[in-house]
Amino acid sequence: MPDTNLRLIRNGQLEADSIRLFDDHLTANSALYLPPDEAHWMVSFDTWLDKCDFLIKRKFPVAVLIPSDADISRIVQVSVTHAHLDAIAFIAINFPTYTDGRGFSLAQMLRSQLGWKGELRAVGDVMIDTMHYLARCGFDSFLVKAGHDAQAALNALTTFTVHYQKSYSQPFKAPL
Amino acid sequence: MYIYDEIDQKMVEQRVAQFKDQTQRFLAGKLTEDEFRVLRLQNGLYIQRHAPMLRVAIPYGMLVSKQLRMLAFIARRWDKGYGHFSTRQNIQFNWPRLEDVPDILAKLATVQMHAIQTSGNCIRNTTTDHFAGVAADEIINPLVWCEIIRQWSMLHPEFAFLPRKFKIAVSGSLIDRAAVGVHDIGLQAVEESGVLGFRVWVGGGLGRTPMVGKLIKPFVAWCDLLTYLQATLRVYNLHGRRDNKYKARIKILVKDITPEVFAQQVDAQWQMIKNGPDKVTEAQVCNIESRFKWPEYDLTLTENCALAQVEGNARFDRWLSTNVHAHKVAGYASVTVSLKATGVPPGDITADQMEAIADISEKYGFGELRVSHEQNLILADVRKHDLYSLWQELRILNLATPNVGLLTNIISCPGGDYCSLANAVSIPVAEAIQRRFDDIDYVHEIGELDLNLSGCINSCGHHHVGHIGILGVDKAGEEWYQITIGGRQNGGNNHLNTNNARGGGAVIGRVIGPSFAREQIPDVIHRLIQTYLTLRDSEVERFIDVVDRLGIEPFKRDVYADPLLLVKPLIQKEVANA
Repeated sequence: MPDTNLRLIRNGQLEADSIRLFDDHLTANSALYLPPDEAHWMVSFDTWLDKCDFLIKRKFPVAVLIPSDADISRIVQVSVTHAHLDAIAFIAINFPTYTDGRGFSLAQMLRSQLGWKGELRAVGDVMIDTMHYLARCGFDSFLVKAGHDAQAALNALTTFTVHYQKSYSQPFKAPL
Repeated sequence: MYIYDEIDQKMVEQRVAQFKDQTQRFLAGKLTEDEFRVLRLQNGLYIQRHAPMLRVAIPYGMLVSKQLRMLAFIARRWDKGYGHFSTRQNIQFNWPRLEDVPDILAKLATVQMHAIQTSGNCIRNTTTDHFAGVAADEIINPLVWCEIIRQWSMLHPEFAFLPRKFKIAVSGSLIDRAAVGVHDIGLQAVEESGVLGFRVWVGGGLGRTPMVGKLIKPFVAWCDLLTYLQATLRVYNLHGRRDNKYKARIKILVKDITPEVFAQQVDAQWQMIKNGPDKVTEAQVCNIESRFKWPEYDLTLTENCALAQVEGNARFDRWLSTNVHAHKVAGYASVTVSLKATGVPPGDITADQMEAIADISEKYGFGELRVSHEQNLILADVRKHDLYSLWQELRILNLATPNVGLLTNIISCPGGDYCSLANAVSIPVAEAIQRRFDDIDYVHEIGELDLNLSGCINSCGHHHVGHIGILGVDKAGEEWYQITIGGRQNGGNNHLNTNNARGGGAVIGRVIGPSFAREQIPDVIHRLIQTYLTLRDSEVERFIDVVDRLGIEPFKRDVYADPLLLVKPLIQKEVANA
């Protein structure tokens, strides 16, 4: 039986997902309430924008979760200084449904225009059938949705070995 | 015709394998209905009234004989022996089984065909002038540019899941025959200071909210075309509405934020990518151009050696006047093979006809064909001295109806007989009109007239841009039909209005008044035509010109004052109340 806990594809392998999303609803009134300085915390994009001055000082960097309707000009703010970018463990972009294509543009812009070289993770409605497009837009880790075979999703990265669009990643180019 | 290289072929084969796996997972319960729906749509597969409908891509309408024979094979093997050419220059099969679709796609791949992105919220088949490459008034050969756009748009990783479907049209000529004004993006070739490029219209479209596109960039040099398209699509992908599918087309975004602001946002994106890897190079254009197999014309032909046999054959003359079109090479002509014979659903073609036309195309036309958005087939390169024998062969096949550009050359969607979206039937209405106008001399006397018919507001029959448009509407469960007049897809041969700068001159038709019952429609059309014939100042003045000159009022007055046209709905109402 495949281990259904191994839903995260990262570095070409399956892993268990150990990330905890910091619940900022509970803490709306407490401006200084932040996740404890330990590994595996992810904060919302809003929390990051509000509190990055504190968050960049952590020993264990947080991940940042970007919603699909994120305002592009605010993403620019994230990358104001490289110190800020270096203080992010990874960036995750959420797909509320796999047909919400905004995440593909956000990823491509993070990679090609905003200089994000760190880990970029697709979360939410991530399935076998979109893996290839996700990888081409610059995602390099993928949290596969429940009910989808993560090993099949990993294999789906090589669904296509040929591509037309030149300005997008071509990670699985066929030898000609 | 563009010939696939290894990359093109491999991509189509890998897509076939991907869809086969998806279909198997769906049938095994590993993909939900919801998950599978969009995936199958992006492979051209709808679930329709009777069965799945498979729409096969015919990129920019170009076909070769081998492909048409394969379509005939598919029609016989997996369908009921016929297919339907759509207004998007594609072909649809109405009766395949879901389980068979992966096999059909695998067969198509063997002749360099596919069904990729023929449906769904993605970049659809790019369309163009059906005389592309042979028209005398051409600035750029749009076939090459359509192929460049085809490659760029196919399996585009960023734009596979747009807010709504997205249609691009390219016109390379002075007269726009590609209807660039009613597409999400319309590209019109222009030359500026010796550099070739395109005018870019954005936000045109038909459907529920018909609009003519706005000119957002007067000139984009050829080398910048793909990066400009990319910037435009990115702004739309990020900001187009996703909460309401009726407001999700790019035309609503352009209207909401204004064309000026939209153009600024596109420009801001474009500046960041215009010199990036997707900038088109001369080598790339040459490479794609060289992968086309171009017709090898006999350059010794002259205009004079053409039509010796024709003397005194009125039927042939009539066909010549409507179905034969000027060609850029002396001694050649383009021929429309009419799929608009009375009694045959517009755009329908049998497997036998497909095979016969494949043979004919090899005999008379370098083995090439185009599909027109008017749902006819075109033999683009016919020697003029072959026209008579070609006409004789087409007549036997019932494919020589001399009505191209005339009233009975009706553009029609499949309508309620097939389509689950339709409010009303289309095909029987088209047939009733054709029967009402069965005197071909009279149809010729009426002259140029586009009559377009849609079974619902999705407007697949392009009724908004018909000189006369008919729209099926549902009123309390009954089929009714609304009439528009004055629409047009381009500035065409309009002598009264030479300003084509607005979306290539496209105009949305205006509704003349309350809807009519189905059986009244032929009489309504007859009444409109009588009004036109009374009002025209000469035979040169077309129906559309009279509407331009006098407005819709005289037509409206005559139709609604006609006692014959009032009686029927009253009777119907009484029956309904009884």
